[in-house]
Amino acid sequence: MNITESVRMAIASIFTHKLRSFLTLLSVAIGVFAIMGSGSLVSSVDETVETEMANLGENSFKITRMPSVQTSRSSRRQYNKRERIDYKQYTQLKKSIGDMAFVSVESSQGSMIVKYLEFQTDPDVTLQGTNEVYFNINDRDVPVGRAITEADVEFNRNVAVIGNDVKNKLFKLSNPIGKEIKIGNQSFEVIGLLDEKGAILGQSQDNQVIIPISKFNKYYSNWWESLDVKVKAYNKESFAYVLDETIGALRSLRGDKPWEDNSFEIETNESITEQFSGLTGYLSYFGLLAGFFALAAAGVGITNIMLVAIKERTREIGLRKALGARRFWITMQFLVETMTITLIGGLIGIILGYLMSTILGLAMGLTVTIPINWIIISLTVTTLLGLISGLYPAYKAAGLDPIEALRYE
Amino acid sequence: MPKTIIDIRNISKVYKMGTQLVHALRDVSVSIDENEYVALMGPSGSGKSTLMNIIGCLDTPSTGTYLFNGTNINELNDNELAEIRNREIGFVFQTFNLLPRASALKNIELPLVYSGVKKYDRIDRAEAALKSVGLEDRMEHKPNELSGGQRQRVAIARALVTAPSIILADEPTGNLDTKTGNDIMKLFQNLWESGNTIIVVTHEEEIALHAKRIIRLRDGLVETDEINQNQVKF
Ligand SMILES: Nc1ncnc2c1ncn2[C@@H]1O[C@H](COP(=O)(O)OP(=O)(O)OP(=O)(O)O)[C@@H](O)[C@H]1O
Ligand SMILES: [Mg+2]
Repeated sequence: MNITESVRMAIASIFTHKLRSFLTLLSVAIGVFAIMGSGSLVSSVDETVETEMANLGENSFKITRMPSVQTSRSSRRQYNKRERIDYKQYTQLKKSIGDMAFVSVESSQGSMIVKYLEFQTDPDVTLQGTNEVYFNINDRDVPVGRAITEADVEFNRNVAVIGNDVKNKLFKLSNPIGKEIKIGNQSFEVIGLLDEKGAILGQSQDNQVIIPISKFNKYYSNWWESLDVKVKAYNKESFAYVLDETIGALRSLRGDKPWEDNSFEIETNESITEQFSGLTGYLSYFGLLAGFFALAAAGVGITNIMLVAIKERTREIGLRKALGARRFWITMQFLVETMTITLIGGLIGIILGYLMSTILGLAMGLTVTIPINWIIISLTVTTLLGLISGLYPAYKAAGLDPIEALRYE
Repeated sequence: MPKTIIDIRNISKVYKMGTQLVHALRDVSVSIDENEYVALMGPSGSGKSTLMNIIGCLDTPSTGTYLFNGTNINELNDNELAEIRNREIGFVFQTFNLLPRASALKNIELPLVYSGVKKYDRIDRAEAALKSVGLEDRMEHKPNELSGGQRQRVAIARALVTAPSIILADEPTGNLDTKTGNDIMKLFQNLWESGNTIIVVTHEEEIALHAKRIIRLRDGLVETDEINQNQVKF
């Protein structure tokens, strides 16, 4: 079987029928683009979710007033009625489950400016108020200096642990430990330098300053703002129990009636995955559907183009049969031709799809992956498309009567 | 006794044109032996091409039997017929019928591709065939870069390359001027002299005179079938 010749012929016929080929290639490319683009975007989201989960840490869950992904307006109104989680609830919760889990409290303000002498950062630093457990729960280290301690929180000390971005902006190469920085009108002593983490979902994890929650609540928080609480069970076995206890304790603290739902959200690794899989489900569903229709249209187009091509090349087919080409050879020749066209279209679509998902992914701050599996899927789909849409024309060509075909003008 | 290649007994070919029946061949019997050189003559519409197509296994008769090298053609299916055409028959057409985008060499390779000959072997044999028609310096030329006579030589080389039992040429000089036509006929004579079996369809007396035997058809019947006493040799 002379595949190279068939491929060469296919490419030649692509060039002799430029407009027609262009339209076919375009429709195949669009179809593959849709499949490939949405597919690899979904892969990127998944990848990112995994990183995000790792961020939450093992045996941990997070308590918030609102869910982090909200799907509809009506549910938002519902959530807005919820009472905020305040410091008192946190301390009481800590009291009831503190002997079986770490409990951290977190509250933050974005867009802060941090100053040191005449230097200052852009107004994009996140100020994080928390307690001594934060570092353990969020899996962050303080390799230089020390972290926030229980005493810092208790005595409301003016101390801060700074992230690497902030350090680079304010201190360059000099040692920041022991220096006085200013946030708003409050001064803080730098006691530690946070380890470097890079960016997640497009947000740098190093552009932050961490201070005791007591200090934060006093100077940087608004009365209506709700706190986030993170809980980390001491071990895997007790996780489910801690979760149950926490929900029970918090419900009674917040006065939730037995017939009411929780007035707060619990996010575990699983629940985060679920929220995202809803989103990615839509995306891949839509992309696959659009891709399917584009490819179906392309398939019909290709079948027509090949039927015309076979009509034009009737004499050639007759000649090949006269020279002894069996049905199989003629069938293969035209199948290879159609598959060449669809594969070229497919490759264009894959490249475009990959570019789009990369650009979108970067814009959305996702971890961009090279979606090998989606490339394979796209290639398989286009090969199949060529096979299916080429089958009928190829069958017709193979069935031509050689004498009729040779006489065809 | 020379070996009989073609043994046609009482064949007819009827075409249906709507309600009308066209009798292209009626009760034709012909037998052709190895290394014969036959000219098939007759007026237009007398059934020459029809007979050639049947001989070449491109078509099957409506009635009668056709034995090719002892094999009953009527009993073969599509693929078996294709195989016989591929291995046993070399076609030369009036309009050359070369693949326009393929080089001379590639055109000649084509029947070998269909019989599954390996690439390097194919190229060797195609080159040899091209050499035997005197075109070894035109291997990479495309058909539109060749003259009519050269194209027909390429076509003849393609017919030769499989070393077939018989070469069938339907009006091989029909699209060529007299001189070029004579060159082609000279080539056929050489092939015949080196042992090939050749049937040439023509309606030109001068062309037919090169053959050793002349069969004349009229209205689908064999009118005369005799040895050419005045064979013209180059
Ligand atoms: N496919 C067909 N359908 C109907 N009639 C046909 C067909 N092929 C040939 N015929 C008829 O059969 C008869 C013989 O045709 P054929 O082509 O064999 O003639 P020929 O001797 O080769 O003529 P020419 O010298 O013009 O090539 C003609 O009357 C022709 O019209
Ligand atoms: Mg004819």
